Amino acid sequence: MKTNSVLVVDDEAIVRESIRDWLKESGYDVAIAESAEEALKMVAKKEYNVLVLDVRLPGKSGLTALKEIKAQYPGVKAIIITAYPSEETTAEAHKLGALEVMVKPVAPEDLEKLINEAVETIGKEEAAAKKTARKAISAKKSFVISKRSFRTLVENLIKNMEVVGVKSKKSKFVFDRISNFDELKMDYDVTVIPPTKYLFPAKETILKFDLTDFKKSAPVLDTAPRAIIGVHPYDINAIQMLDEAFITANPDPNYIARRQNSIIIGVDVLNPSPKAFSPSMGTNVAETGFDLLLTDIGDTYMVTIGSQKGADLLKQVQVIEPTTDDIARQKMVRDEAIGKYQLSLDFPRERLPKLLEDAYDDPYWAERASTCLSCGSCVMVCPTCFCFDVQDDVALNLKGGERSRLWDGCMLVDFARVAGGENFRHDKTSRFHHRMYRKGKYVLERYGRMGCVGCGRCGIACLAEIASPVEAFNAIAESARAKQLALRATEAVRPEIELYTPMQAEIVRVENLAAKEKVFEIKLMGGKTLGQKPGQFVELSLFGMGEAPFGVASSPTRHGTFEIAVRNVGSLTNVSHNLKKGETVGIRGPFGNGFPLKQFEGKDLLLVAGGTGIFPMRSLIQYVLDNRKLYGRVIVLYGARGPAERLFTDDLESWKNNPDLEFQETVDRGDANWKGNVGVITTLIPKVQLDPKKTVAVIVGPPIMYRFVIVELKKRDIADENVIMSLERRMKCGVGKCGHCQMNGLYVCQEGPVFSLAQLRTVREAV
Amino acid sequence: MKPKVAFFDFTSCEGCQLDVLNLTGEELLDLLAAVDIVNFREAISRRDEDYDIAFIEGSISRDSEIPRLQKIRSQAKILVALGACACIGGVNCLKNHLTMNEALKIVYGDDAKQFDTIPARPINAVVPVDAYVRGCPAQTGELVKLVKALLLGKKPETPSYPVCTECKMAGNICVYELGKTCIGPVTRAGCGAICVTGGRQCWGCRGLVDEPNINSQEEILKKYGLTPAQVIEKFKIYNTYSEVKK
Repeated sequence: MKTNSVLVVDDEAIVRESIRDWLKESGYDVAIAESAEEALKMVAKKEYNVLVLDVRLPGKSGLTALKEIKAQYPGVKAIIITAYPSEETTAEAHKLGALEVMVKPVAPEDLEKLINEAVETIGKEEAAAKKTARKAISAKKSFVISKRSFRTLVENLIKNMEVVGVKSKKSKFVFDRISNFDELKMDYDVTVIPPTKYLFPAKETILKFDLTDFKKSAPVLDTAPRAIIGVHPYDINAIQMLDEAFITANPDPNYIARRQNSIIIGVDVLNPSPKAFSPSMGTNVAETGFDLLLTDIGDTYMVTIGSQKGADLLKQVQVIEPTTDDIARQKMVRDEAIGKYQLSLDFPRERLPKLLEDAYDDPYWAERASTCLSCGSCVMVCPTCFCFDVQDDVALNLKGGERSRLWDGCMLVDFARVAGGENFRHDKTSRFHHRMYRKGKYVLERYGRMGCVGCGRCGIACLAEIASPVEAFNAIAESARAKQLALRATEAVRPEIELYTPMQAEIVRVENLAAKEKVFEIKLMGGKTLGQKPGQFVELSLFGMGEAPFGVASSPTRHGTFEIAVRNVGSLTNVSHNLKKGETVGIRGPFGNGFPLKQFEGKDLLLVAGGTGIFPMRSLIQYVLDNRKLYGRVIVLYGARGPAERLFTDDLESWKNNPDLEFQETVDRGDANWKGNVGVITTLIPKVQLDPKKTVAVIVGPPIMYRFVIVELKKRDIADENVIMSLERRMKCGVGKCGHCQMNGLYVCQEGPVFSLAQLRTVREAV
Repeated sequence: MKPKVAFFDFTSCEGCQLDVLNLTGEELLDLLAAVDIVNFREAISRRDEDYDIAFIEGSISRDSEIPRLQKIRSQAKILVALGACACIGGVNCLKNHLTMNEALKIVYGDDAKQFDTIPARPINAVVPVDAYVRGCPAQTGELVKLVKALLLGKKPETPSYPVCTECKMAGNICVYELGKTCIGPVTRAGCGAICVTGGRQCWGCRGLVDEPNINSQEEILKKYGLTPAQVIEKFKIYNTYSEVKK
C-alpha cells in the first residue's frame, strides 16, 4: 500500500505549489488544495497519509479541518505551517494530533524530513497491525474485501451449495434461493419473513413412521449445506437467541442439523426499516453468531470473521488489511445508520423486565388488545418466535406417514387449549399480554437473551397496529412515569401525619406460655379495633425502649382485643415481659399482606408450625376454624424443642380433640412424661395423607425449618405456588421506608411477610 | 370392508365435485383403493342408496331440497358439507338481500311463477353436519385429509386460526402492503392462503373463524380507504348467511 501521499493546503498559490514541486521531485504523490473545504472534499474521496496544513485560510481554519479529518481518519499524520505562530496555535495543533508546527517561510528540506518520519511511523503502525492480525486470524478479525472479490466468493458458494439471500419481490424484500449473484440485494431495509426460516422452517418433517412396523420409524434431518447471505445483525442476534432455546437442555436435532450446516454471512444495516428499533434492544450490532459479517464502506466491504468456517471462506479470495481509514469509515457508516432509526425505547432496556413485572395489571393490555384480530401475523414474522405444533400425516393406504412440526404461536386462539376443551389463555388480552411479556421479560429471563431484537417486522405485519413491542414498552413506561409523578407531586400530597405515631393501647391480660414466652392481650384505646388479617404484624412500641415487630397471634374473627406473643430474647422483649395488666403500650399497624386467604378457599390446608411459628399460625388456625366450611381438610403439624417448650398448650389440647382439625405434634427431644411423637417436624410430613393438587401448605418457623420442610413438600409434589411461608425480617418502620427488611428487590413489610415459594424462587436472600 | 362414499349436489355450480375429479390420477387411484364410491352423479352411473359417508355440495334454496337432504342424513353415518355453499351458504345467499319475489323476477322474468324459492342457507341450517370441507371450490387436499382421518377414526381437524397465519407461513407479502384489501384476518385458514399466494386476495370463501374480530376488521378496511358500503360488500360475497345471523 502506498503510504506517501501528501495533501498540501494553503491559500497562497506560491506556497502550496512550491511545496508540491519540491516533494514531487522527491518521489511523493502530492495534491494541493486552497481551502479547508476543498481539502475536506478531497479527503473524502481519496486516502492521504500526510497533510500539510496552513492555519489561516479563507472559510474554515486549517485546525478545524484537521479536527474533522482526524475524527474520521485517526491514522492521518499532519504538519501545520503558519506565518503567525503563537503558543495557543501550537498547543491546539498538538492537541489535535499534529506532528509539528512550522513557521513560514518553511525550509523545504526540513518539511521533507518531517514527512519522511511521518511516513515511516505509518508503515510501522500498519506492520504492527498486520502482525497482531495474523496471531488472531479467526477471532473477530476484520479485513477489507473488494466488491468484486465478494462476488467471486458468492459465485463459488453457488457452485457448491444451496445459497439463499435477499431478493426484491414486488416492492419488498424476501430471503429466497439465489442462483445468480446479481439477484442479491445487500442494501435492503428488512425482509418480510426472517432468515430464521432456514433454521426453523414453517413446516418440517421431524420423523417418518410406518404403521405396520414400529421399528421402521426414524428421525428426519435436513443436513444439506446452505449459505445464508445478507443477514442483518438483529437477525443474527435472533439466531443466537434461537440457539439458546434449541440447543440448551435437550439439544434439538432438526435445528442443530440445519444450524451446523449453514454458513451465515451477515451485513450491517445502513438503511433501517421505519419500524425498526434494534439499537434500543442492543441488537443493531452483532459480535458473534455469524461466519462473516460485511459492512459496506463505499467501494469496498469491511469483512469481520466470526468463525473458523468464515476464515476458511475468506482464504479463497483476496482480502487486504484495513487501513485506519477503513476502520474509521466503518465506524462512520455504522454511526450514521444509528441516526436513521425512527423508533426507540424511551428508557434503558435493562429496566424492561422490572417495568413489565410492575405493569402486569396495567389497563393498557386490555385496551390495546381489543382490536387484535388473533391473526398470528406478529408471531409468524418474528425472528425470535419458535413455538410449534406437531401433526401427523399418513398415506391413504394407512401404511406410512410422517410427523411434522409447523409454526404455531401464542397469539392464536387455540394455542393454549388443552384436553377437555379448557383454554388457559382464552381471551385476546391474555394472549397479547403473554406475547409482550415473552418479548420483554420471559425469554430474557429464561435464555439470557433479548426476546425482541427490534426488527420491526411485527409492526409492519399488524393491520391493527398494536403489535410493535417498542410501542407497548414505551406506553407502560409512560404509565409508570405518570404514576410516579402523581406520587411525587409533593405539593398535592397530604402527609399521613401519624405514620410513625403509635396508637395508645392497654394490656388487658398477660399469660405465661413457657419459660421465655408470654402472651399479651391488648386493647386499643378509644374503641378502635385492629382489623388485622391473619399473618399481618404490628409494631409494639415502648417509649424509651423503641419498637419491634410482632406477628398477631389471634384472629380478627375474635373481636375487640388482639393478642401478641413475645419470646424474651432482647432488651425490648425483656422490658415487655415485665409489663403488667393495665399498663399502656403503643401499637402501629397492622402491616404486611397477611396469608392469601382467597387462595386457601376450597383447598386442603397443611399448616406446619415450628417453635414460635405457632404465634402467627394460631391466628390463621382460629380464622380457619371460624370459617370452617370454606376449606377442605385442615391438617395442623406442630413441633417444639421439648415438652416444656410447647406453646399455647391449652389450644394444642383443644385442637387435638377438635373434629374439624387433623392435629399432630412432635418434640425434638422428649422427657420422662412425654408420650407423644419424638423427632423433628419433618418426620410428621411423610405420615400425612394428602392430595398434592388440592393442598396448600403454610409454613411458619425458624429459617432452618423452612429448608427441610420444603424438601419434604417437594417430595409430595406440592407446587411452589402452593407452598406459603411467612418470613421474619428485621422490620423497623413497617411502611416500606427504612429499608431494613429488604431482600433483593422486595420489601418484606410491603410485599410480605407472607410469600409463596414460587415468588421467592428468584429472591436469593430469602431462604 | 371399505367405507361406502356418496356425493350429492344441491344448489351449486357442481364445481366442488368437479374438483374432486381433478385430483391427480395417482391420488384418485389411492382414494378409490381406500373407499368405495357408490353414488356420484357427475362421475359414475352407479346410484346406490346404501352408503356410509355422504358428501353434500350446495346450499339449500328450495323447499323441495329439505326432505331430500333429510333422507340423505338419515342414511349416512357421516355427513360432510363440501364447499362454501354447503358449509356457509356461499354466493347463493346473495339473493337473501332481496325479497324472494324480486329474486325470482330477476332470474326467471315472466316465468317466475313456475318456481319456488326460499332464502338460501348452509346445510347445517337444515340437518346436523359432522364435518366440513371448506372453500370455493372445496380444497380437495382437505377432502383427502378428512377421508384419512375418518379411516383412522380420528376427529377431522381444520385450523381455528385465520388465513393470515398461513399467508405468513407461505412467505407472502401482505396484500394491504400492496394497496389492496382482503378479509383474510377473519377468515378460517386451511387453504394455505392459496389466493394471495396466487396473486389475488382473500374473499372469505372458507367462512369466518370462531371468534372473528369483525369490528377491528371493518375499521382496518375503512382505514385502507373502503367506504362502509364497500366494507359490507367484502363480507357479503361468501359470508352473507353468517353476517345476517349475527
